[in-house]
Amino acid sequence: MSSTFVKAEPYFFLAPALAILFVFLIFPLFWNTYISLHDVSLVTILNQWEYIGGTNFLDLFSDPNFYMSLKITLMFVGGSVALQFGIGLLISVLLQQQVRASGVLRAIFIIPWTISAVIAAFSFKFIFDDNFGILNYVLIQLGLQSSGWLSDPNIVIWSLVIANMWYGTPFTILFLTAGLLSINPTIYEAAVIDGATKIRSFIHITLPLLRPFIVINLILITMWSVNFFDIQLIMTGGGPLFSSTTASLYMYRQAFEFGLLSKGAAAGIVLITINLSVAFVYLRFLRR
Amino acid sequence: MKISKLACTCLVLAILLFISLGQVVVTTPVEAQKQQVTLTAIVAEPKERWDTLFSDALQKLRQKHPDMDIQVDYRVLPYDATRTQILTAMVGRSPIDLISVDQIWLGEFAEGGFLTDLTERANTWGRENDWYQTNWDGGKYNGKVYGIWAWTDIRAMWYWKDLLNQAGVDPNSLKTWNGYIAGAKSLNDALNGQGIQGMHLVGADHSPDMWYPYLWMLGGEILEQKNGHPTNGTYWFPAYNSTQGVKALEFIKQEIDAGIKPQTNHFWGQEFADKKFAVMLEGSWLLGTFPREQWSNLTQSVGMLPMFSVPNENNKTATMMGGWILSIPETSTNKDLSWELLTIMLQPEVLSTMLQKEGYLPTQKPIGEGPYATQLNTTIPYYKEMIAMIPIGHSRPNIPEYPQIADNIKQAIDEVYFGIKEPKQALDDAALKSAKVLGW
Repeated sequence: MSSTFVKAEPYFFLAPALAILFVFLIFPLFWNTYISLHDVSLVTILNQWEYIGGTNFLDLFSDPNFYMSLKITLMFVGGSVALQFGIGLLISVLLQQQVRASGVLRAIFIIPWTISAVIAAFSFKFIFDDNFGILNYVLIQLGLQSSGWLSDPNIVIWSLVIANMWYGTPFTILFLTAGLLSINPTIYEAAVIDGATKIRSFIHITLPLLRPFIVINLILITMWSVNFFDIQLIMTGGGPLFSSTTASLYMYRQAFEFGLLSKGAAAGIVLITINLSVAFVYLRFLRR
Repeated sequence: MKISKLACTCLVLAILLFISLGQVVVTTPVEAQKQQVTLTAIVAEPKERWDTLFSDALQKLRQKHPDMDIQVDYRVLPYDATRTQILTAMVGRSPIDLISVDQIWLGEFAEGGFLTDLTERANTWGRENDWYQTNWDGGKYNGKVYGIWAWTDIRAMWYWKDLLNQAGVDPNSLKTWNGYIAGAKSLNDALNGQGIQGMHLVGADHSPDMWYPYLWMLGGEILEQKNGHPTNGTYWFPAYNSTQGVKALEFIKQEIDAGIKPQTNHFWGQEFADKKFAVMLEGSWLLGTFPREQWSNLTQSVGMLPMFSVPNENNKTATMMGGWILSIPETSTNKDLSWELLTIMLQPEVLSTMLQKEGYLPTQKPIGEGPYATQLNTTIPYYKEMIAMIPIGHSRPNIPEYPQIADNIKQAIDEVYFGIKEPKQALDDAALKSAKVLGW
């Protein structure tokens, strides 16, 4: 067999995977960029697309609602990631202890993740409803003040964070459990012999060894929270007063409610940039 | 032995194959000559109305074309999904023969080249004069007919008689703005302890729809034509921040100040049927939230004022009309047959059956005032009163930019709801954004 063929052989095996990557990832990215540089709306989509350069990006950055959506995204993602990671880590560590029926408990904790996001969103919409929701009903029965969980602009984003936390935490539990299972238990035995307490073992053994899993988990849940808009769309539609419109929902509304496909594409490019920046930050600062 | 077993198996399989092929071949000569046609449609929920309409209309269509085997494959989708699916199909050039179009989508779809120009077909059909003028015009864009408004709905004031009695509120007092505000306070005082709110106020996405009647009754408009547009010469310009608009939004502010809370979640009348509110401005579809068997006695417990409250008794009221338009997409490969099906669906004898079952209002005079009116009047509570509102009904603009304009108006309304801006400032800021959207 010629040496050229031998050298080229691995690429033949890689070709199908690369083709799929190109068709479903690379091409849509370039196509989205192409759309963002042209004037494409529902009214013009079947006509010749006019090249307008960075006009869509200028429109985007001059829209105060876009900046508002970035601020809301920061709050939504920050709250969701902190709660998903914190609670997920706590539960996975607790389940690693010698707990009876830990397998059953793990299965129960995974349930939210098996439910469609749309159903989860509708469920929380009814739980949080100002007038008919179970939460306000319980609060009133306990003699407490009811709250505008979905109607108060100052509170609504945290209602969405709670819903997203409920929905997304199971992934963290699963992922970190896999990480915890990969740690050799004899390390903990040695630490106990050396007099380490459980907390010190957790801080000085568990966390450092779990770091690669933590980094990947944080990257994934951050990206998902940035891109997620099902919960916002269904629970509040982005209101009241844009106080629950994240950047992903802003992008969706521009493209599919207002028909401004190229402005939505421009917002999509900005979102991709945010996601890549976040991944870079995590990888750079947390992998040391 | 093995070979003979194999041969027997092959023989049996061959016989079975021959019989099954024979089933296909042995058909009656007439069936073999019938042209198979399947018309496809994308329509909006609820499903029951389309089941009735398509089944009755298809029967008639088949009678007219005995040489054809006509089927209708219709997909019934939620409101948002209907619009998305239609757009996806149009952009992807998928052949669809019939669609239900919300009146506010018409301009966008027509401008995008998604709809068939039905002007000539409509002229030949010759039924334009059967339609109420507003409803006929609602199917037109830039002077051309792109759809036929099939049925409509109006918004009216519904109230629970026993709750108003309990609070000592005379329903007639709600006809004026001052009476409405006073009634809200009395109802809240009397009913809040029972977990019932006096008045419903829309805080959901369609809040502009419930504000427009106040704008219209004062003589205002959402948009007006203006000269000097940078590219179009004469084009639409925001008019809703006029003095009439400001006055209309000030009334909304008075409602907030009177303790009426905007409801961000909307259940399309179910919250009224569940007696969570004593008074609700809602569409005529509210009747559908009550079981059909209660319709005959409904007027004893539920009252209806065919109006939005007016500033004073000298003002004429107004309301907003919605409903659905039937259109034929440009991608349809059976335009003539689709048009025929559409016209059959709109025949009074076909459409009135569905309207009677579902409680919708007609857009055509033969059903609204003619012989079919008696039948509908005896079945649908307050039918006569709702029909009487059609002449005072207005429709929203059907231009492509309308969704963004509605969003600007909603933001203005929300800013007043939350006390962030005064009505004039909120409307002026919204109008500035709308002007930019319209290309000024």
